[in-house]
Amino acid sequence: MTDARVEAATEDGRVRIALSGEVDLDNAGDVEAELARAISNQATLVSINLAGVAYLDSVGLRVLFHLVERLATLQIAVELVAPMGSPSRRVVELSGLAALVPLEPPLEGGAPA
Amino acid sequence: MTRAPGAASYRPRSSGSVPPGSLHGVPTSSAGLPKAAVDRLRDIETVTHAGLAHLGVEELLVELLDRVRNVLDADTAAVLLLDGPNEQLIATAARGIEEEVYQGARVPLGRGFAGRIATTRRPAAIVDVADADVVNPVLRENGVRSLLGVPLLAGGELLGVLHVGSIALRRFDDMDVELLQMVADRIALAVTVVQSDTERKASTLLQRSLLPQRLPRVPGLDVGVRYIAGGGGTVGGDWYDLFTLPTGRVCIAVGDVVGRGLRAAAVMGRMRSSLRAHALGHQGDPALVIDLVDRQLRHFDPDEMATVVVAVLEPSFDRLHLSSAGHPPPLLAAGDGPARYLEVAHDPPLGVAPRRRRRSVTVDLPPGAVVCFYTDGLVERRNRSLEDRFELLQKAVLPAPAEQVCTTVMGQMIGLEPAADDVALLVVRRADSRTEPLEMTVPAVPSSLSVIRAAVRRWLDDAGAGPVDVTDILLAVGESTTNVVEHAYGPAGGTVSVRVELDAPDVIVTVRDTGQWRSPRGSNRGRGTSIMEATGDAFVIDHGPEGTEVVIRRRLDIGRSGA
Repeated sequence: MTDARVEAATEDGRVRIALSGEVDLDNAGDVEAELARAISNQATLVSINLAGVAYLDSVGLRVLFHLVERLATLQIAVELVAPMGSPSRRVVELSGLAALVPLEPPLEGGAPA
Repeated sequence: MTRAPGAASYRPRSSGSVPPGSLHGVPTSSAGLPKAAVDRLRDIETVTHAGLAHLGVEELLVELLDRVRNVLDADTAAVLLLDGPNEQLIATAARGIEEEVYQGARVPLGRGFAGRIATTRRPAAIVDVADADVVNPVLRENGVRSLLGVPLLAGGELLGVLHVGSIALRRFDDMDVELLQMVADRIALAVTVVQSDTERKASTLLQRSLLPQRLPRVPGLDVGVRYIAGGGGTVGGDWYDLFTLPTGRVCIAVGDVVGRGLRAAAVMGRMRSSLRAHALGHQGDPALVIDLVDRQLRHFDPDEMATVVVAVLEPSFDRLHLSSAGHPPPLLAAGDGPARYLEVAHDPPLGVAPRRRRRSVTVDLPPGAVVCFYTDGLVERRNRSLEDRFELLQKAVLPAPAEQVCTTVMGQMIGLEPAADDVALLVVRRADSRTEPLEMTVPAVPSSLSVIRAAVRRWLDDAGAGPVDVTDILLAVGESTTNVVEHAYGPAGGTVSVRVELDAPDVIVTVRDTGQWRSPRGSNRGRGTSIMEATGDAFVIDHGPEGTEVVIRRRLDIGRSGA
């Protein structure tokens, strides 16, 4: 059983989510549902921190891509935090997700347009 | 001799008078037993000899009871066997009053007709049940009027009671008593033989079914086991176990329930499952697991005693936590030096309330290290000093493949002389990534993915891979195994095999399935392939008729930019 945690704190419409643990095919559905639950319709900005993520692959990326798409439709702003050298940073950079949402810290050589 | 109320305790009488109206008087001959009875008795002996080979206790008794009825001209015959722990007699076989058995009739010791025969261990007769204290209503309901019963004794041990009944009023005489007691002695002998044979077979079967049929294969651990029953094939309560816990820890237990036979084997089974349950609940600390198993044993099996050593291996396999309850210490062999006995704290056995908290010790387990667990049957030998035996064992344990260590230890310690006691031996060796590939085959299901990653991560850490290499190789393995889980098999499912080997300075990862390749579905999959391509230096997918093989080669220690 793959373990991940979703911890969320909401303040003035800003939802800060810390995702930690591992995300793979085994638990991606649960993680997706928990992320959706953490974000109310009143939110104006969602910040997802991936610093505590030990493993994330294309299945986990699929969850993030879906979420980003959905939030764009709802006109809720979203940003990703993935520290340099962290396992999730590598995947996020490879995936092109950073072309859709602001990434913190930004890509070297500036964020793509 | 005490006279039980209601029952006429048997006393030798000068003449066996048959009451008027009895249709079942046995004509006596001057030579002691009636000739007819002697012939019929021979009949019983034939059964006891021929019957032992293939009949169970109940079948054998039914066979014998028919002949008993014949010998004594009785209408009913029944055997009640002692259920010692419950101090009850249980109707085990009956003729003429079979429902007694169907209903599982039970008679407490000391009560009623049969109960008093069991307590006094003397024959007893009832002329008319109407005047007597008979526990079992089945007798009265069947119109049984007179009863004669004798104890079933074997080697001074009470096995149960044999009684016969007559519908007509009958005064059983001393010849009847003598005859019935002779039959009872033969039955007792037969029951003992069949019971001990059954018990031996049952306990062996139980022991076999309770020991793990096949230990789980844990990637990165090499495990060998031996179990031999000592003392002429009767099993005891030795056991071994090895299982993984959901956190990636591995729990190892070797123990020994005091005693032998079916009972020890049954207690062993309960202890093994209770240990598994508590290990699942309290994953980290073996002393705590032992404490909980001990509480359970003392509460539910207060008369039993056992020793056990429990070891919990951390997910990295770097450290082993051990606790012992009165069990001989395991050995550790690592590097070039001789094996050493681990200094586990000497806490009391299970079943003995400890005066203070049980203790755990932690030892480092370097790659290639061997830990040897065993039960005392391995070291104890009559007429040999225990010190010498421990020293011999110490020399036999080397940092070598587990099967080889088992063979060496059994050869040195047991040799050509069969062990008097049970022997259980469990050897684990931590694999060495620098020289051994990681190989694992697991069901192609989502829950296997984290198991695969944990094993690969452990192997890479041991092989000296840096964090960037580890992240990338884990991604490559994760993507390719996820592909297998999602696309290789139909509803029947299948397995995924992973092999990771060092071809310095490269790591080669091979992921195999035996399914039929199906093009990835959904919008996501192209992403997986591009991740695999980005994380390996070389990446080959081969779809064959027997399955798909993905090979990823990656050079270690090369600094990579992000994109």
